[in-house]
Amino acid sequence: MTDPKTGDLNSTPPLPPLTNETQLSDKLVEAFPFLADKITIQRIRRVWATVPMTELHAVLIHAKEQLGFDQLCTITGTDEGTELGLLYHLACDNGIVLTLVTTAPKDGPGPESVTPYFPLAELYEREVIDLLGARIGGLPEGNRYPLPDAWPEGQYPLRKDWKPAFATPAPGASSSKEKQG
Amino acid sequence: MGVVDRIVTWARLKSPWIIHFNSGACNACDIEVVASLTPRYDVERFGVALKGTPRHADVLVCSGPVTRQISDRLVRIYEQMPQPKFVVAVGTCACSGGIFDGLYNVMGGIDSVIPVHAYIPGCPASPEAIIDGVVKLLTALENGASAPIERPRVALDNIRHMDGIIAPQQLIRSRADQKAGEQDD
Amino acid sequence: MTDSDIVKVPLGPQHPALKEPGSFMLSLRGEQITEMGVRLGYNHRGMEKACEERSYLNDLYLLERICGICSHAHSSAYVTAVEEIADVQIPRRGAYLRTLVSELERIHSHLLWLGVAGHEIGFDTLLMYSWRDREIVMDLLADLTGNRVNYGYNTIGGVRRDITDEQKAAMLKGLDTLEERTKYYAQIATQEVTLAKRLSGVGKISKEDVIRLGVTGPTARASGVNRDIRKDDPYCIYDELDFDVITADSCDVFGRTVVRVGELMQTYRMIRQILANLPDGPIAAKAPRKVPKGQAVSRYEAPRGEGIHFVRGNGTDKPERVKVRAPTMVNIQAVSHMMKGGFLADMPITLAAIDPCFSCTDRMIELADESGSHLGVKSWADVRAHGIRHYQERGIDLSDVSKRFASKMERL
Repeated sequence: MTDPKTGDLNSTPPLPPLTNETQLSDKLVEAFPFLADKITIQRIRRVWATVPMTELHAVLIHAKEQLGFDQLCTITGTDEGTELGLLYHLACDNGIVLTLVTTAPKDGPGPESVTPYFPLAELYEREVIDLLGARIGGLPEGNRYPLPDAWPEGQYPLRKDWKPAFATPAPGASSSKEKQG
Repeated sequence: MGVVDRIVTWARLKSPWIIHFNSGACNACDIEVVASLTPRYDVERFGVALKGTPRHADVLVCSGPVTRQISDRLVRIYEQMPQPKFVVAVGTCACSGGIFDGLYNVMGGIDSVIPVHAYIPGCPASPEAIIDGVVKLLTALENGASAPIERPRVALDNIRHMDGIIAPQQLIRSRADQKAGEQDD
Repeated sequence: MTDSDIVKVPLGPQHPALKEPGSFMLSLRGEQITEMGVRLGYNHRGMEKACEERSYLNDLYLLERICGICSHAHSSAYVTAVEEIADVQIPRRGAYLRTLVSELERIHSHLLWLGVAGHEIGFDTLLMYSWRDREIVMDLLADLTGNRVNYGYNTIGGVRRDITDEQKAAMLKGLDTLEERTKYYAQIATQEVTLAKRLSGVGKISKEDVIRLGVTGPTARASGVNRDIRKDDPYCIYDELDFDVITADSCDVFGRTVVRVGELMQTYRMIRQILANLPDGPIAAKAPRKVPKGQAVSRYEAPRGEGIHFVRGNGTDKPERVKVRAPTMVNIQAVSHMMKGGFLADMPITLAAIDPCFSCTDRMIELADESGSHLGVKSWADVRAHGIRHYQERGIDLSDVSKRFASKMERL
């Protein structure tokens, strides 16, 4: 099992990846009973699971080590209104994409970083921090991404209530350009 | 023009050295600029040489809408070129911001930060259009034109200090209004 | 050697037109790179926010311009996700044509890469020849779609233009020429000793590291990892086409060259199958203007690797959220890993070998010592020239290959 503190992988070989979405769903529920009615099979090779933030790491590690999901494709951040949504898209060698959907508070601490198990997650997490203001803990000191250094504090472009000072109306819309003082 | 001036101008027109810069583009225009150097279009027969440093270049061939992060680098590169220097904006994004006009991290076309002498539209500008643009610029220079069309530009300070997110289009508009207002008085 | 022998060389941020012009901080001890830091974000335009303010169809044209080399790949991935949410079945002919343009794009991208890689090691003849051949495929694409890049070929529900019999015949003829030339490049790549020596052992990344870091595309396949979205998670009609996934075991730039040339041959095979089996029927289905609530993830195999799009609809005619993660974002971070222990002379080709979205723009390298005082400015061309000289002094000279290559090509 992965040691969450150091990210050390012991040398147990991974199990072969699943080819059946129903089998995947059953195995997840078997390991985590609270996922009982939270798993949707949208179509072939697409499985969605809603996970509470506190259980995110446990489910992620289990999916990586026991179920063969060793690729983290990306982390999508969304603005759900009162809180932020975080979607972790995992993939395995047989093409199944398992998306773990969790939520994080807009103004409070979010989940810990998953870089111990997925080293490249750093960029994805920095993107969610910069553009949506999520607070993901455990990231080392580093450059921000993707916004420029001089970007003002507290401005999160992807939040629904953020409007730039010079919003251009979409083609075809009739509203005049907004101006802010 | 004295004899030396005439020779120097002739050299500049017959063999313009260019530096190519991508200020946040999608790369399509950049690939077309490089394709102009390949055997089918072969812009080197006009004496155009692609140089690695702005200090050796006569013409800055620039593509892409100017993103905030790259804007002061673009200005720095422009300032490092020796006079007389000319700027060619390749592609619709470089001319006016194109499809990216109004996005929060995009400042607009190249002319929002540096003066531009020639605009080559297209998405992407095809190599034929690029050659046409370069030849038109050289012809205009031959006929004595050397000043770019002056547009009010964002001052360098406004790029460096982003207090609030200032819209370059707003600044341009307000300066143009100011000028119009002055003329009316 | 003490730490004061380490020189930090910042590379970038004005980079040879990567999709995300990046800044690299190299720590050098003599000629060897001990560490490499990567900084990205210079090409951030704010497109995801813009997508939320534009209709689904307008977003198609916007997202095509994320990258000017794999534009159809981005637009196909986006439109596949939207079609999944809106539950639109695209007609078979439309799916075949969409795949056709995807594969034609792969040809143009790989030939582009071949030329750029040649340029980075000093083999400019390869650049000129492969880009000349690339014009064949650019003409085919322009004839079919109306533009050389940024085709605007997809629409929600299918494609926008049909193919005529003359275009089909021209395509088959063009493929014959390209196949002959590609066979010759394959011969040069594998049998020319100088080229093999220059590229072998450069930019190594082991199979375990590829899996651990999640590297994708030809970069991963050159390390023996058999991952290709067209086989693992097929989209469009890839599950009906007969092709092989090309892998190599050398884990270095040479392997990546072999993989890409092999993929070109497979692509010609696929296009012939598509043209032979093209079904009749409409090319597009009617799609609703308002897309219902729902979300979808679509993955595609761009010429550079795996890309992924996430789209969420909210019942209106504008998407709620669009997220794009393109392949170079993953692979560029693997470059730091590849460059550890490598030589400065190998920097240009290692970076080129992951096939970032490239143009031959030059950039500045500022040499500074530990205290930060300015020692000099070098251009990318200087670093390239340094690399060429470095290998010439050690007996690998590619100018001879250029002459042999040129004389053989004349006879083709």
